[in-house]
Amino acid sequence: MAAYEEIVKRYQQVAFRTAYVITRSAADAEDAAQQGFIKAHRALGSFRAGAEPRPWLLQIVANEARNRVRSAGRRHKLELRLAEDYRPGGAAPSPEAAAIASEDSTRLLGLVNALGDEDRLVITSRYLLELSGEETAATLGIPEGTVKSRLSRALIHLRARVEEAPGA
Amino acid sequence: MPELSELEARLTTLGRELEWPPTPNLQASVIAKIATQKVIPLPTRAPMRPDQWYQNRWAVVAAAVILALAAVVAYQPSRDTIANWLNLHTRIQQVPVLPTPSPLPPGPLGVRLGLGGHSTLPKASAAVKWPVLVPSSLGQPDEVYLQFPPDGPPQGEVTLVYSARPGIPTSAQTGVAVLITEARGAVNTDFFGKTVGPDTTLQLVTVAGHQGYWIEGAPHVLVLIDAAGNPRYETLRLATNTLLIDEGGTIVRIEGDLTKDQALQIAASLA
Repeated sequence: MAAYEEIVKRYQQVAFRTAYVITRSAADAEDAAQQGFIKAHRALGSFRAGAEPRPWLLQIVANEARNRVRSAGRRHKLELRLAEDYRPGGAAPSPEAAAIASEDSTRLLGLVNALGDEDRLVITSRYLLELSGEETAATLGIPEGTVKSRLSRALIHLRARVEEAPGA
Repeated sequence: MPELSELEARLTTLGRELEWPPTPNLQASVIAKIATQKVIPLPTRAPMRPDQWYQNRWAVVAAAVILALAAVVAYQPSRDTIANWLNLHTRIQQVPVLPTPSPLPPGPLGVRLGLGGHSTLPKASAAVKWPVLVPSSLGQPDEVYLQFPPDGPPQGEVTLVYSARPGIPTSAQTGVAVLITEARGAVNTDFFGKTVGPDTTLQLVTVAGHQGYWIEGAPHVLVLIDAAGNPRYETLRLATNTLLIDEGGTIVRIEGDLTKDQALQIAASLA
């Protein structure tokens, strides 16, 4: 049990954030992540020894999150936003450079949030959550090859919007 | 116009600038829920001859419950998993519906509850290899029972029986106020099987540094397990609130219409 508690501790952040991206609700994401960890514990016997647990866990949590979206019958607005204390580049930039960088990020985030679900989920999973290709595939419930093609398409859509957006 | 690789880099940077909702601490809630949902199935093989099997109403009910459990819960941890869990020598299964209670059969207490033969504290203490623990909060037991294989666990089992005390009434499930059963065994041997319904809760507790379970709420089904690991279906009965603890290798089971505090107080006074 202590070992499993350690697993929960190690992966709860990525599990919660993955569920949040899918459900767009912190409360639903918490429920989904919690239930996902409980289901994963029940299914430990089916887990292949030596395999990486992260994709397996994320797949279970993402399934729970999708089930909640389906059963809720309503859509939340994604509330991802920039951290207020973010400092671009790590070092102290000039106030003007920081403002421009922040403006760019805000605009880009707005465009990502406005993408269709399929594009938004693959881009958010792969880049914003920094999941691996295998983890993105597990999270979205699609083959890894499909992740690549879907990602490529989503980036083209996003780039087109970046070009259209004023000031991009 | 950004190149794709540039866009990818900007997206990765963007991810690190995001303010995510705070991650809830899931450790406690997940572990607590796993503990309450723990399902440890009894063996499905029948230890009796077929003619005895069908004559035993409880055994048939138990088999039905076990089969229903497999379908409903679909969770079958290995025996090693269970042994490593807390090593409380207890198989616990959770089911959506408990079998209907049946009145206790007539006969002496030791026979009715599957406690073994009547004994005394000095005789029982001399017969087993561990120091028998007596709770100072309850004092000397009113009766003592002792049993060995084939009905009892490999190293024997001692049960202390207490009649009603102030604040501790006689339990309808046992006909006595408190039952304290003690046994020792190797890691993979089990002494008790428990079937728990949805109105019964399991909580992890700690008594003087030893881990245990507090089982509270609606009565649960208890079956004693013989030295060969087979459930003794003739001992299948409803049990009331129970505290299970490991006191330095001795498994102590305290059963009665007790509050959690009363049970913990009894356990803390074991010496």
